[in-house]
Amino acid sequence: MNARLATRVSRLAQFGFLGLLFLFIATPMLVIVVFSFDANRFPTIPWGGFSLEWHRAILADPMIRDAFVNSVLVGCGTAVLSTLLGFAAAYLDFRYRFRLKLPFVLLVAVPPAVPATILGMAMLAFLSRIGLFGRLETIMACHVAIATSFSMALIRLRLNDLSRDLEPAAWNLGASPTAALVHVVLPFCKPALIASFFLSAAVSFDEFLIAWFVGGVHETLPVRILNLLQGQVNPKINAIGAVVLVVSVALVLIAQRFTGVRAGRRNPNP
Amino acid sequence: MTAASVTTRASAIRRWSWLSRPRMAGSPAVLPAMLSLPVVLWQAVFFAAPLVFLVVVTFWQVRSFRLEPAFVLDNWSRILFSATFQRALLHTFAVASTTTVLAVALAFPAAYTIAFRLTPRMRDLAVAFLIVPIFSSYMLRIYAWQIVLSPEGMANAVLGSIGIGPLPLLGGAFSLQVGLLTLSLPIAVLILVFAMAGIDRTLVEAAENLGCRRGRVILHVVVPSVRPAIALAATTSFLLAFGDYISPLFMTGSKPPTLSILIVDTVKSGSQWPRASVIGVAMLVMLALALGLGQWLARGRTARREDAR
Repeated sequence: MNARLATRVSRLAQFGFLGLLFLFIATPMLVIVVFSFDANRFPTIPWGGFSLEWHRAILADPMIRDAFVNSVLVGCGTAVLSTLLGFAAAYLDFRYRFRLKLPFVLLVAVPPAVPATILGMAMLAFLSRIGLFGRLETIMACHVAIATSFSMALIRLRLNDLSRDLEPAAWNLGASPTAALVHVVLPFCKPALIASFFLSAAVSFDEFLIAWFVGGVHETLPVRILNLLQGQVNPKINAIGAVVLVVSVALVLIAQRFTGVRAGRRNPNP
Repeated sequence: MTAASVTTRASAIRRWSWLSRPRMAGSPAVLPAMLSLPVVLWQAVFFAAPLVFLVVVTFWQVRSFRLEPAFVLDNWSRILFSATFQRALLHTFAVASTTTVLAVALAFPAAYTIAFRLTPRMRDLAVAFLIVPIFSSYMLRIYAWQIVLSPEGMANAVLGSIGIGPLPLLGGAFSLQVGLLTLSLPIAVLILVFAMAGIDRTLVEAAENLGCRRGRVILHVVVPSVRPAIALAATTSFLLAFGDYISPLFMTGSKPPTLSILIVDTVKSGSQWPRASVIGVAMLVMLALALGLGQWLARGRTARREDAR
């Protein structure tokens, strides 16, 4: 009887702790969204009442609109390019054995592990010397260099489930390596390609340090927020924040919908 | 033909043989070359070259606000021997180590509960819930903590209602750790959940059947099985906390400055690129050392003993 009570207390403690941890993770996101509808100028308790004032204010702000358009352009470009490059890298890693394979994989995989402050400074120093400073395309190119790592990981994970004999079978039936790639491998990777598209977009949509360094006068939305945050308290921040948060959460959720990433062993063909 | 030239010829053939592996139809070397070229070029120009250039710049000179190629060690000696840099280094190191310990200590029990106590469906939900914040709006979440922890913020309102406070929550070591844990905790938990979900349940059951109590099962079965994941979670947390710019900026108002803050300040305050680069390269060296240490710890004592043999 006593042992059962101890088990119950222990379970309660475990779930209680987990609940607190999730609360810690969720609190800042909830705060942003809830206070964006607050009528008060300063976000405090008690809540000042429901208002869409600040959401309307950001729609009327041309700098914020420009930043949003920039973010969307950079995000879409990054999504397309890093999905293509990530697929190429993942397929090379899956299909071929070659010297310098480890350096090749590291070249693609490592960028997100380098602190963005250092990488941003390095990119600014180098790219301004070759005349690429201050363009929207440069922000995108730098985001691609980071996001390709995630694309490669997602697509490589999917390729793990591709039977190694499927391509040789296509070759035996007369398909060229390129035809086999297009008609066998690519369709198989479709969910991972979609996931990689949305995840890369999310990575780009969220990145601010590199965009801040190399963008010059072109501001993406997170850079606009960073500049607003360093100024005075501005109730618009919560409203833009809510928009950015909703967009990036949606992108990640869509990406997640298309990945088979799960903790624990499962039936491979459900 | 000498023996040496034969071996170089042979190794050259071996080196390029990957290009001709699927020798089916068409020109077999074309496909892999076409696939690899764009990726390698892109990563070389936008990732590798900037980092190499960063190292090169540390030896350059600034003359009348212009960066000029040179080979001087002045930048290195100036930064490495400056009290500001040394203080910032110690501070950053202490902060990142604290975050690492806290993140692993908090993530382990949480991951254990998720991996062993939740149903598969709930576990998937928990994993989804942990992945979302990793990719969304870190800067905004730090701003939200600023609101919550400010003197008139929500935290003090809640504390005040039970008769505590108001406490100076914002602007110190506490708020800095809140910020850095916001960044690192979801990833640490996720790494440990994936490792623990992969543990063979029969091992745990066997230990229980042999009369092991829960504490001993965790210590002797779970911890050794997920040892590499613990090392990975720790190195990842350290890496994130060590290089972070946003939490020190908004949670402590950059006082005392961390190395990231120092870099941005040095870049902003005129054209001291070489010195900022020195700080950057020094940080990268330290992160590489931390990663190496993590790898060494991950392999465990027994594995190392076997390697030594």
